[in-house]
Amino acid sequence: MTIEDTRPRSARYVGRSVQRVEDPRLLSGQGRYVDDITLPGMLHAAFVRSPHARARILNIDASDALALDGVVAVYTAADLAWLNPMVATGPMRDGILAHSRTPLATDVVRHVGDPVAVVLARSPYLAEDGRDLVDVEYEPLEPVLDPLAALEPDSPLVDEALGTNNISHLEESAGDVERAFAEADHVTRLRFHSGRSTAAPIECRGVVAKYEDRAGGRYTIWASTQMPHLLRMFVAPVLGVPEGRVTISSPDVGGAFGLKCTVFPEDVVIPAVAKLSGRPVKWIEDRWENLAAGVHSKDMICTMEIAAKADGTMTAFRGHFVTDSGAFSSIPFTPLVDSQCAGIYLTSCYDVRDVAYSVDNPLTNKCQIGAVRGVGWVPGQLAREVAIDQLARELGKDPVELRLQNMIGPDVYTTAFGQTYDGGSYAEALEKARDAVDYASFRERQAKAREEGRYIGVGFSPFVEPTGWATASAAAGGLPNGYYDTASVTVEPDGSVTVTTGLHSHGQGHETTLAQVTADELGVPMESVRVVFGDTDSSVFGMGTYASRSAVLGFGSIRESAGQVRDRLLRLAAILLEADPGDVELVDGVAGVKGVPGKTVPLQQIALFGYFGGTARPEDVQRDALTATSGYSPGETYANGCAAAVVEVDVETGLVEVEQLVAVEDCGVQLNPTIVKGQVAGAIANGIGVALLEDLVYEDNGEFVSGSLLHYLYPSTTEVPELDLLTIETPSAVSVGGVKGVGEAGTISAPAAIVNAIADALSPFGVVIDRTPVTPEYLRRKLRDAERTREAS
Amino acid sequence: MKPAQFDYLRPGSLAEAIEALGANPDSKVLAGGQSLIPMMNMRLARPSALVDIGRIDGLAGISANGSLRVGATTRQAEVLADATVQRRWPLITAALRHVGHPATRARGTFGGSIAHAEPAAELPAAMLALDAAFTVHRPGGTRTVAATDFFLGHYTTVLAEDELLGHVDVPALGGSHWAFAEVARRHGDYALTGVAVRLTPDADGVVTDARVALFAVSSRPVRSAAAERLLVGTRVGDAEAATAAGKVALDDIEVAEDSFVSATYRTEATAAIVRRALLEAATNPKGEN
Repeated sequence: MTIEDTRPRSARYVGRSVQRVEDPRLLSGQGRYVDDITLPGMLHAAFVRSPHARARILNIDASDALALDGVVAVYTAADLAWLNPMVATGPMRDGILAHSRTPLATDVVRHVGDPVAVVLARSPYLAEDGRDLVDVEYEPLEPVLDPLAALEPDSPLVDEALGTNNISHLEESAGDVERAFAEADHVTRLRFHSGRSTAAPIECRGVVAKYEDRAGGRYTIWASTQMPHLLRMFVAPVLGVPEGRVTISSPDVGGAFGLKCTVFPEDVVIPAVAKLSGRPVKWIEDRWENLAAGVHSKDMICTMEIAAKADGTMTAFRGHFVTDSGAFSSIPFTPLVDSQCAGIYLTSCYDVRDVAYSVDNPLTNKCQIGAVRGVGWVPGQLAREVAIDQLARELGKDPVELRLQNMIGPDVYTTAFGQTYDGGSYAEALEKARDAVDYASFRERQAKAREEGRYIGVGFSPFVEPTGWATASAAAGGLPNGYYDTASVTVEPDGSVTVTTGLHSHGQGHETTLAQVTADELGVPMESVRVVFGDTDSSVFGMGTYASRSAVLGFGSIRESAGQVRDRLLRLAAILLEADPGDVELVDGVAGVKGVPGKTVPLQQIALFGYFGGTARPEDVQRDALTATSGYSPGETYANGCAAAVVEVDVETGLVEVEQLVAVEDCGVQLNPTIVKGQVAGAIANGIGVALLEDLVYEDNGEFVSGSLLHYLYPSTTEVPELDLLTIETPSAVSVGGVKGVGEAGTISAPAAIVNAIADALSPFGVVIDRTPVTPEYLRRKLRDAERTREAS
Repeated sequence: MKPAQFDYLRPGSLAEAIEALGANPDSKVLAGGQSLIPMMNMRLARPSALVDIGRIDGLAGISANGSLRVGATTRQAEVLADATVQRRWPLITAALRHVGHPATRARGTFGGSIAHAEPAAELPAAMLALDAAFTVHRPGGTRTVAATDFFLGHYTTVLAEDELLGHVDVPALGGSHWAFAEVARRHGDYALTGVAVRLTPDADGVVTDARVALFAVSSRPVRSAAAERLLVGTRVGDAEAATAAGKVALDDIEVAEDSFVSATYRTEATAAIVRRALLEAATNPKGEN
């Protein structure tokens, strides 16, 4: 790797598009995923899952399965009664009911895909043969499928033990919302249904576990997870052992997008049956299971109201968000990760001080709702930004001008609900996106196209993304908990560097970016740095990777620990160089004395001296050698930016073509611009899927129909246009290095831009777009209805 | 996502293949495997045996002496890339562009896509529009089936259990106007509706014979008798005729609904793409003879 050095030495790697060091391994097929783990004597598991949305289990007969040659065991809930229940307690806040489940269904199944039994066999083929032979007798029950009906007092209950379907109703308000609406010149109201989507990573989930009956019993679990330490923390108590007897190892992970920061029944069932069978067990999730029984996301009925003055000043927001929560409260983040996140960040980049929101979280007989890229920020953004376009149309205002008129300034800003933004390019990002779509001439182009019977439209979606998820930001987001991370930095005796972190990389490129950061902090070549993560036995405790947190937390924790080691290295070098430590500098792995050319000592020599230099070393080095571990939990950091979309709608077929997509991203100081671009591009593609394609569909009887990638559609290269990825850098006022996160921005912003562009294209028809995904069937229905209304009047 | 147990047979000749099919009830022919294997992995298909015809000599290949002959195991990618097909039967090339993706076309076979009889597949409709004939191998000989008689319903054709599609013959149709259009959620997906049209003009540009072959609208690819009747006697490219043909295209056809779209959607969208295809047919470069 040759890197032209054009930056100051204190920032030799950070900010540069260094090539990803993990790519040669991953691209040449040398990645090692859970499915690559093979253990001697290992059995393969297949789950028997409910075909019903809601049913009582009357009987389970496994005799035919057990009679099949190659099937070793079949276990049901009765065999796992020694496990403790899995409990979703909520992220340490009042106002949400704790929800408990057994890993396998006991008396009632609660959604299609709910696991009922597990078959162990000599091969995955035989395990599935055995699965097909397990005879489960069900008594179907009336399913709860409509989230609003689920809130009614006479609704059947998804879980009778709770006494209600609504596991959380929250309300919050700031300012005087009632008065603002009463005094408003104009009120716009929108009901918007954000569709049900999921992460659909290329690599589905997977668990391999072995149990060793020594030292009181030890579990070793390989899992495709984003958070090895948190998974251990949640799995150990269910297995009834201390965390010290559980090792979680997460090898290479082929995409996660939030799906894999949930704790699933299979995470405990597989180790439990490894213990029961006395054999290591592997389970690799298939696509149907992933779609039916992983986590779903973003299915939310949003009601958004905006109070405005006649001049376009927005004076108040009021939102109600009902998350169609599925059958279980997900562990650890619960469905509040959608509904609460939609509500509490409602004002986004707008200077609106009177604001109120409420959320409801009815359980339904569907797959659980969990954290998936963009979480509830996506529906919240959709509801607000689509409503703002509606307001602009109603007031006869330009949607860009209306937004700019109401936007906060670029400095530190505290919202009505008390989130403190660390400065950003809120207006500038919108202006940049506006210019990138050539907005000045767009209306003319649009009018010409309409004359030819073509319908093009443009839409904007400026956003603020909470990033660097840590104690302060979580509290500000209404999901309070301690979130921090540690990093350990060790300079080995030969001068090579080992960093361990509890953060996890599953596409983000931490092996590159965290090495960049470490190399800069220590003053060593990046090639000498190895980043170790993903195994609870070899990495320091950490919270894992989600919520766009790792750039911020990784940088902060490494800077502190590496700084301590660097200080020791400089003092050791000073002894060797017979110089004052203040005069020593460490660059590229060589220590020298400032202003004295030729007087140098290589890092290797300093490190060896650090370990074996006896009493010639400073006392703290004699004690700690060259390792330091330090933690970090930053203040609130918020990225911002703006998406703009130009679309063409084929009004006869209802197909939408995204002609242009602009993403302006301001994530503060960029560790690696290429990686930032990759994150934004991937998230934008995800956003196109949310807007137009991705839909997890349940029929009226609760049957699940989106169980393959023939039915659950996400964008391929032919559906993603050339993206205009533009950046602005507003360094964070609070985080180490001025870094903000970037992982979810495009998924938050793109859907609303696309929906607004569609509505703009169809403005001659008077069509209100009130849901995602905007499918051909939906658009045609809307256009047909509009036509009928026009004919009737 | 693992198939149920099955036997695997790899006959070395056509005769052996026919024998193997007859000897193994509920067996399936394995050609490119791009549809069958996923269905088996999802256990939607559980054949007792797979009869792999991939190594039988003479089943693959393209020849064009007057008419076009495509062997059943010819890869879709090979037909798509064939210059003679592009020049003389451009409708086939146009249809193939919508069949899956480069990776699936590299394995998927021309005959497999036809014999599989997925109602939303492109090639069967193209065969209807082109008056293709299929040569079927059977115990003791062969028989020929016209494309219009071949498809019965979802994944169902006239092929008996011990019969095998051998090759496809397409007549020389140079001078015909043609067009191909479909609506799909994503490029390469099975269509929500689609149409292959072919119009034979007289010297004055008046349609003397019309083929309007629809797919993804019903349980099988189907010619629209109403649209074809309406078009005969109109001028190629006549806007009114094109619109009218689109409107009647699905008359007397039972239109399918699924989790993606309603029958109403299919009817409306079909009217639009039939009209567009008929207009496009007037300007597409005609195939050579």
